[in-house]
Amino acid sequence: MKRNDGKTGRRFDRLRTWVFRAAFLLPALLVYAVVLLIPILDSMRLSLYSGGGLVPTDFVGLANYVKIFTEESFSAHVWGAFRNNIVFFLIVTLIQNALGFFLALAVTRAVRGAAFFRKISFLPTTLSVLVVGFLFRQMLNPIWGLLGNYPWLGNEATALPALAVAVSWQFIGESILLYAIGIDGIPSEHLEAARIDGADWMQETRHIVLPALMPIVGMVTLLIFVGDFTQFDIVYSMTTTMANPRYTTDLFGSLFYRAAFSTPVRGGWGMGMGAAVSTIMVFVVSLGVAVWYYLFKGSRRGEV
Amino acid sequence: MKTFKHAKAVRTIAVLLVAAALAAGLSACAKKTEASKSVTLNLTSWRTEDIERMNRVNALFTKTHPNITINFQPVNDTEYDANMRAGLETDTGADIIWLRSYDTGRTAYDGGWLYDLTKVIPDLDKFPPSAVKAWSTAEGVTYGVPSVGVTHGVYYQKSIFEKYGLKEPSTWDEFIAVCETLKKGGENVFAQGALDDWTLYEVVFSGLGANFYGGESARQALMAGKAKLTDPNFVAAFKAIDSLQKYLPKGYEGLDYVSMQQMFGSGQAAMFMGGSWEIGVFEDLGSDSAKIGWFAPPVAKAGDKLQYCFHVDAGIGLNKKSKNLDAAIEYIKWVAGAEYAQAFMNELPGFFMYTPAKVTLTNSLAQEMFDAAGTADNTVRTVWEKLSAQSPSGNSLMGVALPGMMVDKYTPEQAAAYVQDQLASWYAPFKN
Repeated sequence: MKRNDGKTGRRFDRLRTWVFRAAFLLPALLVYAVVLLIPILDSMRLSLYSGGGLVPTDFVGLANYVKIFTEESFSAHVWGAFRNNIVFFLIVTLIQNALGFFLALAVTRAVRGAAFFRKISFLPTTLSVLVVGFLFRQMLNPIWGLLGNYPWLGNEATALPALAVAVSWQFIGESILLYAIGIDGIPSEHLEAARIDGADWMQETRHIVLPALMPIVGMVTLLIFVGDFTQFDIVYSMTTTMANPRYTTDLFGSLFYRAAFSTPVRGGWGMGMGAAVSTIMVFVVSLGVAVWYYLFKGSRRGEV
Repeated sequence: MKTFKHAKAVRTIAVLLVAAALAAGLSACAKKTEASKSVTLNLTSWRTEDIERMNRVNALFTKTHPNITINFQPVNDTEYDANMRAGLETDTGADIIWLRSYDTGRTAYDGGWLYDLTKVIPDLDKFPPSAVKAWSTAEGVTYGVPSVGVTHGVYYQKSIFEKYGLKEPSTWDEFIAVCETLKKGGENVFAQGALDDWTLYEVVFSGLGANFYGGESARQALMAGKAKLTDPNFVAAFKAIDSLQKYLPKGYEGLDYVSMQQMFGSGQAAMFMGGSWEIGVFEDLGSDSAKIGWFAPPVAKAGDKLQYCFHVDAGIGLNKKSKNLDAAIEYIKWVAGAEYAQAFMNELPGFFMYTPAKVTLTNSLAQEMFDAAGTADNTVRTVWEKLSAQSPSGNSLMGVALPGMMVDKYTPEQAAAYVQDQLASWYAPFKN
C-alpha cells in the first residue's frame, strides 16, 4: 500500500503503536486480573451472602454491612480495628521515617563502619514476621523476659505500641536503604556549595537533604500505609488471632482473619461477614492511597 | 566433559521419569485389581502434638487389619475447624474426622458430610448418655463416636507443699489458706496469667467456678433461659475467681498459656489450675510426674458435693464420601472398642475414654482425676452448649469478661452482665 495520505498513515502508525503496546501489556493484565482483580471482586460478591461454610449461599443484599455498622457487638470490633490501625500506622511511620532518616544520614557519612552498618541494618527485613514476633514475645515475657516483670503485652496501653515497635524494627532497614539511596543521589556540588557558603550540619540537612528526599518520604509512607492496613502476621504471632489483651491489638488483617475463618466459638462471624470486613479494608486502603496521591502530587513531579 | 555431564543428567532424569510413570501405572493397576487388599485411611484431628503417640495407637489397628493403614494428618488447633470444613466442601476431606462436641461438630453433620453411625457403633446404648448427646441430633442420630473427655482441677508441686506442711485443700477456705501460706512464704502461688482469652474461662471458671454456681443443674437452667449469669450463684463464681487475683505472679497480665505451663512445669510456681491433658505436657517438659500432685476443684462449703467439669472434648466421625467406606467403618468400630480405649489412655494420660469397656489407667494422676468423677456431679463448660453456636459466642465473650475482671477492668458483676447482655442479642431464651 502506498502511503500518499499523511493523515491516514499517521493514524495507522498510531494504531500499530497501540496494538504493539497492548500486546506487551495484555499478558501482565491477564495475570493481574486472574490472580488479583477477579478474587477481589468475587470476595466483594461474597460479602452479600450469608450462611455457613467457605462459600455462603444465601443472598442477603447489604445485610452484612448493616449488621457491621449497626450492631454494637460487631461495630465495636470494626471501629476498634480501625482506631488501632491508625495508631499502629502513626507509630510505625514515625519510627521508620524519623529514625530511618537519621540512621540513613549516619550510614552515608564517611565514617568507619558506616558501610557495615548499612548492610546489617537490612538484615531484620529478611527474617520472617513470625520469627520476629516470636523473638519479641520472648523478650517481653513477664517471667523470663529481658525487660523485667512488666506485662508489656498484657497492658492495653503498651501492647499495640510493642507490636508497632517490632514491625518497625524489622522494616526500618527498608527505610534506611531507600533514604540512603536518595542521599547518595544528591549531587555532591550542592553539598559542597552549601558548605562553602558556611552552612552547618543542621542547615545542610534541613535545606538540602530533606527537600531532596521528600519524594522518598512519600513513598516510604505509602509502603508503610499499605503494609500496616493489611498487617496480619505480627498480631497472629505476638497476640494471637484473638488480638490479646481483649482485642486491643486487633488490626483489620487480624479482624478479617478471625471473622472469616474462625468458628463462632473462637470469635468467628462467618465467611460472608468476613468478606464484608475485607471489602471495607479494600476501601480504606484505596482511600488512603488516593489521599497520598493528592498530598504528594507535587513532590513526585519534583526532581530528586 | 561438560556435554557429557549434561547428557548424563538428561539420561538420569529420563530414567527417573520412566520409572515414575511405570510406578504410577503399576500402582493404578494394583488399585484396580487389588482394591480390597490395601487401603490408606486419612485421619485428622486438632492435636498436632500427638503425632507419634497416635501413630503408635493406630499401628495396633494395622496389626489386626494388615491391609488398612492409617495416615494421621492433624491440623493446628486454631485452624482446624476452617480447614476441616474446607476439606469437606471441596471433597478433599479426610476419611476419619475428629469432631468437637455440640454445635461446632454438629455443623459438619448439618452440612450433610457425615455418615450416620447410630447403627455402626457397637454397644452405643452402653456409652454414657450425656456423652452420646454431644455428638447426636435431638432425633437420636449419632454422627460421632463419643470418644474423649477431659477434666479440670489444680496441679501442685509436692515439694513446695511439703516445705510448708500443706495438705490438699478440699474446701474453698482451705484453698485460700494454702494460697496465703504460700504467698507469705514468698512463693509464686500460681503459674497463671490473664493474657490468653480462653484459659480463664475454659479451665478456671468452668473448672473451679462450677462449685459456686451449682454445676450441671445451673448450666441447664441457664441454657433454658430460667437463670441468668447475673444471678447471685453465677456472680459468686465470678467473685471466687476474682479473689485469686492477688495470688497471681507479677506480670500475670502478660503471661501467656505456654509460658504458664513452662513456669509450672519447671517448678517455678506452687500450683497450676489446668486441664487433665496437661499431664503429658508436663512430662514432655521434663518434670517428674511423681513430684506433681493434683486435687479436684475445692467445694464452696464443707459437705458440698463436688461439681466436676468433665468436658466432652472429642468425637470421631466418618466422612460420608470416603472412597474406602468399608475400611473406614471397620476403623470406626475399632475406635469404639476396648483395645483402642486402653492404648489411647496409655499413650495420652489425662484423656478419658467414654468407651464402655474395662480399662486400667497406668498414670496415677489420671487415675485420681478419673476417680473424682465417680463421686461427683459431672458437668461441662459453662457456656459451651448452644450458647456458643452464634456470634458473639458465649466462649468469646467469657474470653473478654474474665481476663478483663482479672486486670480490674470489670467488677465480677460487670463481667457477668457483659456476657449476659451480649448473649441476649441473639440467644432467644435470654431475650425476655
